[in-house]
Amino acid sequence: MSGGIARGRLAEERKAWRKNHPHGFVAKPETMADGTVNLMIWHCTIPGKQGTDWEGGCFPLTLHFSEDYPSKPPKCKFPQGFFHPNVYPSGTVCLSILNEDSGWRPAITVKQILVGIQDLLDQPNPADPAQTDGYHLFIQDPTEYKRRVRLQAKQYPPIV
Amino acid sequence: MDSEDDMLDANDSADEDFYSGGEAGLASSDDGDGDYDFADHDSDDSAELLSHRQQQNYSILSEDDIQHHQEDDINRVSTVLSILKSEACVLLRNYNWSVSKVHDEWFADEEHVRKVVGLLEKRMEIPNDRELTCGICFESCPRTSMSAAACGHPFCGACWRGYISTSINDGPGCLMLRCPDPTCAAVVGQDMVNSLADDEDREKYGRYLRRSYIEDNRKTKWCPAPGCEYAVEFVMGSGSYDVNCNCSYGFCWNCTEEAHRPVDCATVSKWILKNSAESENMNWILANSKPCPKCKRPIEKNQGCMHITCTPPCKFEFCWLCLGPWSEHGERTGGFYACNRYESARQEGAYDECERRREMAKNSLERYTHYYERWAANQSSRQKALGDLLSLQNDKLEKLSDTQSQPESQLKFIIEAWLQIVECRRVLKWTYAYGFYLPEHEHAKRQFFEYLQGEAESGLERLHQCAEKELQIYLEAESPSKDFNDFRTKLAGLTSVTRNYFENLVRALETGLNDVGPSTSHGTSSKGTISKTLGGKSKSGKSRASSTSSKTSGSNRAVDESNIWACEQCTFANPKSAKNCQACNHQHR
Repeated sequence: MSGGIARGRLAEERKAWRKNHPHGFVAKPETMADGTVNLMIWHCTIPGKQGTDWEGGCFPLTLHFSEDYPSKPPKCKFPQGFFHPNVYPSGTVCLSILNEDSGWRPAITVKQILVGIQDLLDQPNPADPAQTDGYHLFIQDPTEYKRRVRLQAKQYPPIV
Repeated sequence: MDSEDDMLDANDSADEDFYSGGEAGLASSDDGDGDYDFADHDSDDSAELLSHRQQQNYSILSEDDIQHHQEDDINRVSTVLSILKSEACVLLRNYNWSVSKVHDEWFADEEHVRKVVGLLEKRMEIPNDRELTCGICFESCPRTSMSAAACGHPFCGACWRGYISTSINDGPGCLMLRCPDPTCAAVVGQDMVNSLADDEDREKYGRYLRRSYIEDNRKTKWCPAPGCEYAVEFVMGSGSYDVNCNCSYGFCWNCTEEAHRPVDCATVSKWILKNSAESENMNWILANSKPCPKCKRPIEKNQGCMHITCTPPCKFEFCWLCLGPWSEHGERTGGFYACNRYESARQEGAYDECERRREMAKNSLERYTHYYERWAANQSSRQKALGDLLSLQNDKLEKLSDTQSQPESQLKFIIEAWLQIVECRRVLKWTYAYGFYLPEHEHAKRQFFEYLQGEAESGLERLHQCAEKELQIYLEAESPSKDFNDFRTKLAGLTSVTRNYFENLVRALETGLNDVGPSTSHGTSSKGTISKTLGGKSKSGKSRASSTSSKTSGSNRAVDESNIWACEQCTFANPKSAKNCQACNHQHR
């Protein structure tokens, strides 16, 4: 096994992120009650893209890294019940590059993951539905779907 | 007593048989390589059957053979396409080790093949800086410690090792490994694995490669016997599916269950499913899992959507509800939750049908138990016979050779007898599965089948008894017994008679007892005709009854059934004029 390169890589990811990251995104490791930093869990925010129904929302996402990272992908979770065709009821994101059996490669960075998920927000993949609600509205009732997306964007306003 | 008469009959027919055909059998087994085959018989009406058993349509491969075959194939592709061996290996793996398929595809569209498999046309060099950043750990390392696939994306040794190791531990999907860079499709072949991974992983990768060569190749399979490491290469399109591995296990190429002639594969699989001792387990699997529609591995669905992707290397994508390919799903079929095939199936009551069948199976439990007990009894009897055979070969035969002052080569008839017993037990065992699935309403067939089976059972009992009990006397004797030669004659004769009977039985069952018309309700007459087809049990029987009479009675049956009578003892069909049976001399009442 890759024997504990997870933390080293995550420290480097953290450095790279601080040096440069896309506008409006937040990504930082969890800080424990005693002030120490837990590199294995990152709290992130993904901004909805300008000019889409997702605009104005700042969506909280948690990345859970395992000791096998970067051999295995992190688990990416929105809050439970997040409205999107490709998000499981538990909040877990269903995305090809996050699937260890197919799309994941160890060289995919945290930045690429977050940008990938931002793209997914406005471009759901109807071939791979993960929840009933979001999928049915997306397919059958585009007007209602839009309304729900805008409503959700308002529920997650930017933290100033 | 019927069985007494039968016994006498068998014995004197055995005498004749032994001197005519039996001796040829002994002679050939002397120079033979110990392989047991039925081919040394000149019986004309089974010539056709024997000839297709004679030609071996498979070869057994040892581990070394496998390696050589694989290397030969790789070298061939590598030479013809002028590519590296590791590249040839990846190509072959991708096209299920079919050399001709690789050639066809490559020469049809090399560019496409390269793209699919991940073989780059031109090798890219690692950037020429003294220090480079590894794309996995993000550390900067000296250029000399970095490696890359043909694409030139550099990663450090430790990360390569981790990447390759993770993939190898995830299973045979590692044989299609690609560069760790997300945008890159360059393949990572065995050469890289060998130079970058540790010994244990290299070894594992090699094993997966060898396994893939056997398992993904349509022409080869592993011998299914536990612990056996031989593989079998089979020539398609040839008669029998029976394969005898060098480990002495006999199995069916088609379904890889134990050899099961005269029963067909579908019946065997039904029967085995039925017998599954872990029926609780089976119930659970049926209730909670579905087999992947492509590779048939059972899949448990524990969460998530209906879009199932089987684990690599299968990767088949399908709908959990209807088991159809996922590519046919989506918006067009009305969405995944309302998989309309599922709905329509339920409306048509296909599910109730399932339910009803289950109910019926429960009701027939008693009937099943009857067949199962007899199936299992023959199975254990066969195991016992195998054990006895082994102990004879290992030790008892040597002693017998001493006490009876006979060379061991003269005792081969005993081994022959036991091999025949083992084979007969196998056949007999499967006739019970055959009987279980023989439709209830085909009365004539059933009746006739049960008669044949009964005869087979008693014939085999006779042989088994002789080989076991009577042999015991000579095994225990202190000095040469006078009548040992008589015993030899008797046992060899019984072996030959039983062999003939069983060969004919197998053939009759394989052809579905089609000599019995489905509407024939007159049991005895049909019995008579078929048992003639079965060769009247032995060659001597046939030679005594003139062949013309038996043939004419066969073709006459449909025309005039009243012109013949079936012997009460041996069921031979005799012309009305005969007072005694032409086969066994039994007086007609």
